[in-house]
Amino acid sequence: MAVTVQLNDLVKVFGNIRAVDHISLTIEPGELFFLLGPSGCGKTTLLRAIAGFNEPDGGQILIGDRDVTKLPPHKRDTGMVFQSYALWPHMSVAQNVAFGLEMRKLGKAETQKRVQEALEMVKMSDRATHKPNQLSGGQQQRVALARALVIHPQCLLLDEPLSNLDAKLRLEMRTEIRRICKEAGLTAIYVTHDQKEALSVADRLAVLNGGVVEQCGAPREVYRRPVSMFVASFIGETNFIPGVFQGGEGERVTIDTELGTFVSTAPMSGFSVGDAVMISLRPETLRLDTPAASAPNQLDGIVHDSVYLGEVAQHQVRVGGDKPMNLKVFDLNPRIIARDGEEAARVWVDPSDVVVLPAAGKGVPAP
Amino acid sequence: MRKKSAWIVFGVTMAVFLVGFIFPLLLVVRNGFISPDGQFTFRYLFGVFQNPIYLEGLRNSLRLAVGTTLLATCLSLPLAWLSNRYHFRGKVWVNALVLVPMILPPFVGAIGFQQILGQYGALNALLGLDVDWLGRGRWVGVILLQSLSLYPIMYLNVSAALANIDHAMDEAAENLGATGFTKFRRITLPLMAPGLFAGGTIVFIWSFTELGTPLIMNYTRVASVQVYDALKEIGGNPFPFALVFVMLVVSVSLYLLSKIMFGGKAYAMQSKAATTFTETRLTGWRAGLALLPFLLVIFLALLPHAGVILTSFSAPGGWYRSVLPEVYTTGNYVEALGHNMTVSSIRNSLFFSTLAVMFNLVFGIGIAFVVVRSTIRVRGVLDGLAMMPLAVPGLVMASGYLAFSSQISNSELVRNSPALLNLFDVKTNPTLFLVMAYGIRRLPYMVRSAVAGLQQTSAGLEEAAANLGASPMVSLRRVTLPLITANLIAGALLAFAFSMLEVSDSLMLAQREDFYPITKTIYELFQLIGTGKYLASALGVWAMLFLAVTIVGSSLLLGKKLGALFRV
Repeated sequence: MAVTVQLNDLVKVFGNIRAVDHISLTIEPGELFFLLGPSGCGKTTLLRAIAGFNEPDGGQILIGDRDVTKLPPHKRDTGMVFQSYALWPHMSVAQNVAFGLEMRKLGKAETQKRVQEALEMVKMSDRATHKPNQLSGGQQQRVALARALVIHPQCLLLDEPLSNLDAKLRLEMRTEIRRICKEAGLTAIYVTHDQKEALSVADRLAVLNGGVVEQCGAPREVYRRPVSMFVASFIGETNFIPGVFQGGEGERVTIDTELGTFVSTAPMSGFSVGDAVMISLRPETLRLDTPAASAPNQLDGIVHDSVYLGEVAQHQVRVGGDKPMNLKVFDLNPRIIARDGEEAARVWVDPSDVVVLPAAGKGVPAP
Repeated sequence: MRKKSAWIVFGVTMAVFLVGFIFPLLLVVRNGFISPDGQFTFRYLFGVFQNPIYLEGLRNSLRLAVGTTLLATCLSLPLAWLSNRYHFRGKVWVNALVLVPMILPPFVGAIGFQQILGQYGALNALLGLDVDWLGRGRWVGVILLQSLSLYPIMYLNVSAALANIDHAMDEAAENLGATGFTKFRRITLPLMAPGLFAGGTIVFIWSFTELGTPLIMNYTRVASVQVYDALKEIGGNPFPFALVFVMLVVSVSLYLLSKIMFGGKAYAMQSKAATTFTETRLTGWRAGLALLPFLLVIFLALLPHAGVILTSFSAPGGWYRSVLPEVYTTGNYVEALGHNMTVSSIRNSLFFSTLAVMFNLVFGIGIAFVVVRSTIRVRGVLDGLAMMPLAVPGLVMASGYLAFSSQISNSELVRNSPALLNLFDVKTNPTLFLVMAYGIRRLPYMVRSAVAGLQQTSAGLEEAAANLGASPMVSLRRVTLPLITANLIAGALLAFAFSMLEVSDSLMLAQREDFYPITKTIYELFQLIGTGKYLASALGVWAMLFLAVTIVGSSLLLGKKLGALFRV
């Protein structure tokens, strides 16, 4: 039964560090929700608070309409997949999976049936009698997932479940996890620091930084319309150009920068004329094809370094006259390759791709 | 671990320690400082230092301790180093065998030792000499015997310390031009100093207060024997308590010194190797050369016990001025095992030791859980407290329990109730105090092995169980305990073996024949005129055999090698 998970003004302090700093989130029934952030941002602390492994210093956790804030872990009815899998080495795969059902005092026949189903779901039924140390990392991961799913938890919690797998397996398992969650119709909360994982699998995600939620929304919304410099630089790559907000008519505003005036039609929070702002330009929105003569946001530059990756070329383009600046430009289906030497190029960007952010923000990674 | 349960364990353990450990020690101190009219006085303490007999006893004890510690170091250091650096055929076996003397009671070995090295013993018969190898003072013999039984403790500590030294440290020294002895002196030795000192402290305290071996070797001018003799007398003589106080101060100071110097990082058999040396493989005569010191030490250490076995099969008087006994018999076994005292003592020892091991398991697991899995601040206090019994000699504890027992039994309430008298008066029934003594003194071993087990078991495994609906008790029973079983059994076996062969507390606390444990019976049999040492040997052999069967049996059941059990 899918339920809502609600966090109200949650606080968790370790020593003098606020690991979770007044976080409120509502996760909808059946939603696959991601907590994304760099290490130390509080995402794992938050997940462990939901599971009951640490007691928050303030706030409230609701699973369904039950207030579980003070409940010990074993009474919360969550299914957790641990980063280390935490499979019990002295029990077989089947015994591991059956454990939660035993605790729920299910009958033998029912237990067996559900263990079988769960193992089938993760395609591990042929390994039921194996011990965990006889399994590969990917197989252990599947068993851990089965063990959490078999109890039909009110909510599934995943703590960086794929971080111990190699790249190929990781790709395979993340679609697998999404399939399983959707099939079971579970509310799931998934912690990761891997933005690709979050973007590709999440229904919605929250970007955490320093114990607070910087932004919460659907993947494409967070990627296309970041609300802070931190989010823009943590998810995907970007070029920052400082500037001053000049205002405009309707959606169309201009920003003065050292590289000239930029026009933006992207939605943004209310700035006043004269505000210091930061323009964020994704490398893939910077274009090297010939723009219409009337198109705004054109820059002349020199491609001075390129990395060719087949489907894409990553160029370093030097722009600006006496105060030069490097822009990263991703050229999909690349034609120009200036591997040796330099080549003049004109770069432009569509006004709807010019994202304007407040200039101040904490914890912005160095560009 | 939830805070509340951690506090409960902490509270209960503190209470048990206060009653069973701190209070008896306070009584020792009190009895040594309070005169019969209730006045505080230094008279007895000064008396100890003014009495030439007590002074000589202390001096001799100190000599025994220093000698034993040095000799044990000399025996164990080369072996530990060899085992750390090299791999050779048979190493697994000698590594295990080298630890065996730890569970062989030295005070029984003393009987065989005298048969071999005594003036009318086997060695003189072999060489055709008439030298008294043990010397007139006998202290050389006591040192030899004690170091041959205590060196395994050094060996385990030094091995653990060596194993924890990063190989790169050594390579860096070589890279900068230090080799051979210079490297050992400047790099290896300082790095392993904590382990060396920790092992040394335990051996020192142990031999400083050892009662059984000097008693059997008839070396009576040591403090421990003086305390034993004086406490046997009826009537509250305060001087032995003052003497015990001096011994307690020496022991505890040394223990604290090593804690302060090395931060208590490497205590007895605690550390598990994190990184190991790449062992150099030795073959041919080099392997033989590496094996030789092991075999030599094992031979020397087992020699006294071989002497005991021979004595046990020798007809009384049949081994005198000859290399081997001249008349063999199994009669000693028939007589020793048929003795009333023996039958009840075997039952008593099993009963006391089993109770003590159960005490150890409950408290060892509880304390280890708080230390490893809880976040309460005082868990460090608990950890330190659980290790304290290592610093307090059995003799001191026994004196404390004697004082404790007479204190309670003298109260109006207890004196008039047979049931309470049975519980608290050691002269009526020593069970409570013997079990407490056995249990508390072996607790450090149990705590160490349980802590090691828990540290190797990820807390995530317990969290996974809680997450799936297992209450803390269920997750303990279903997940944690099965995973640390090997550690618990190792610790329990060690505690059991030590309890079965415990000497100081057994000799002093068991005062009624029907409550004698095996060790006291061996000592009583030994004192029988004529057949004494033969019967004592027979019972000693039986006890060692019983322990060997228990330990080997358990290790076979667990599918583990003997050595692995002792690498707690």
